[in-house]
Amino acid sequence: MQRDSIQNTFRVAILLCLVCSVMVSVTAVGLRDTQQAQKERFRQENILKAAGLWEPGLKAESVFREQIHTVVVDLETDKSTDRFAAGAKELDVKSAIRDRNLSRAVDGSDETGTDLASIVRRETYATIYEVREDGRTKTLVLPIRGYGLWSTLWGFIAIDFSTADPAHPSSLKVKGLTYFQHAETPGLGGEVDNELWKAKWPGRQIFEDDWSVALEVSKTPSKDSQVDAISGATLTSNGVTNMLKYWLGPNGFGPYVQSVLAKNASAPASQPESETSIPKGER
Amino acid sequence: MAEPTAKQVLVDPLVNNNPITLQILGLCSSLAVTTNMQTAVVMSIAVTAVTACSSAAIAAIRNFIPSSIRIIVQMTVIATMVIVVDQILQAYAFALSQKLSVFVGLIITNCIVMGRAEAFAMKTGPWLSFLDGIGNGLGYSIILLLVGFVRELSGSGKLFGVTILKPVTEGGWYVTNGMMLISPSAFFLIGAIVWAVRTWKPEQIEKE
Repeated sequence: MQRDSIQNTFRVAILLCLVCSVMVSVTAVGLRDTQQAQKERFRQENILKAAGLWEPGLKAESVFREQIHTVVVDLETDKSTDRFAAGAKELDVKSAIRDRNLSRAVDGSDETGTDLASIVRRETYATIYEVREDGRTKTLVLPIRGYGLWSTLWGFIAIDFSTADPAHPSSLKVKGLTYFQHAETPGLGGEVDNELWKAKWPGRQIFEDDWSVALEVSKTPSKDSQVDAISGATLTSNGVTNMLKYWLGPNGFGPYVQSVLAKNASAPASQPESETSIPKGER
Repeated sequence: MAEPTAKQVLVDPLVNNNPITLQILGLCSSLAVTTNMQTAVVMSIAVTAVTACSSAAIAAIRNFIPSSIRIIVQMTVIATMVIVVDQILQAYAFALSQKLSVFVGLIITNCIVMGRAEAFAMKTGPWLSFLDGIGNGLGYSIILLLVGFVRELSGSGKLFGVTILKPVTEGGWYVTNGMMLISPSAFFLIGAIVWAVRTWKPEQIEKE
């Protein structure tokens, strides 16, 4: 029969593959911009959620523009830098960690210490977000990432400075923790997205008074700095602990957090900043 | 075999020949996405759209498909539809597509889609196959929504995320049924629905 001939089998297979691949490509390319915009909005929402500024119904973009200050931190010098314009492509983490000039290797042999979070390379310039009030930093939102069970989890942790005592780093509290991208098992490790679990974070102690990272996920929480682990997701929970230790530690944002706390203490506790001096929040 | 009418292919799968309760297909996703109504609705729409479009597409080319590669041709068509649906969800319902995570991609392996392609669309014209896909998708949807309704209401006291019964944890009176939020409860519910349907329509009971 003509239909079942080898020739026809090949013809149908090739034609079908062509038609299907064109369909898939057209959709993927055609929708890419909308998807990117959605992703960006979702990321902004997560920053706001971590900072405790998010409420359903708000427009992420406008809240972001009004309240969030974008700061670029040089993780080599632990100082903020204004070398880059907002949204500069050098700040895109995923491409920066493939560029020798914009990132450095993190492994056991490197002098930066062990690669706790299994990130392999760490970007030099990290974008962080600040909420300011009266010229002081009120909340600091730091990007964190690290390997869980299947995937790298990308998220934000926000540090609350409003009740901080400069002499005691242990007075810094978690404002919130969110993840905006991961591929952990739905229902197990995927529970990092669970609102109930995320609600356990605000108010937790982050540092000991010697600036070592106290915050961790634990199966048997007994201290204020220990958050109950996710049941059935030991490796994801460990991943969360590891990335907190790394990113809040001396090789991550630890020194920068110290400098912010010191700067806050020296800032005059006077009138609110005038409108004009507040830099416009950027992307 | 007499050609079925449009009404038959559309209405039959709702109760008489329901893909979940009679054929016991598509259970995996019906366990996974029914903890709340929102994901259940989106999943229902996605599966219905994929089943209808892939059945129609396969029916349209059924006379050209060589029988030796027929299954893989069906898979390719279905996979294409699923990717298109997934991309659309990511563009226009991003938060939901995050919640549904892998389950949209797993529509490819949903036995209902494959089953209709092989059992119906390979023998019938595109229009009837399209309707058949819609019918089976709706049959799947009915069960999904029923299960989702019970699970969300009793499990978290909400419907579509809106609080109906105020749970104790939020200062109300309703003690939520935590079991309803884990997968086995969907098995219990689907079992109960199968029982109810077969009591109503005893002809569905298999002979010993």
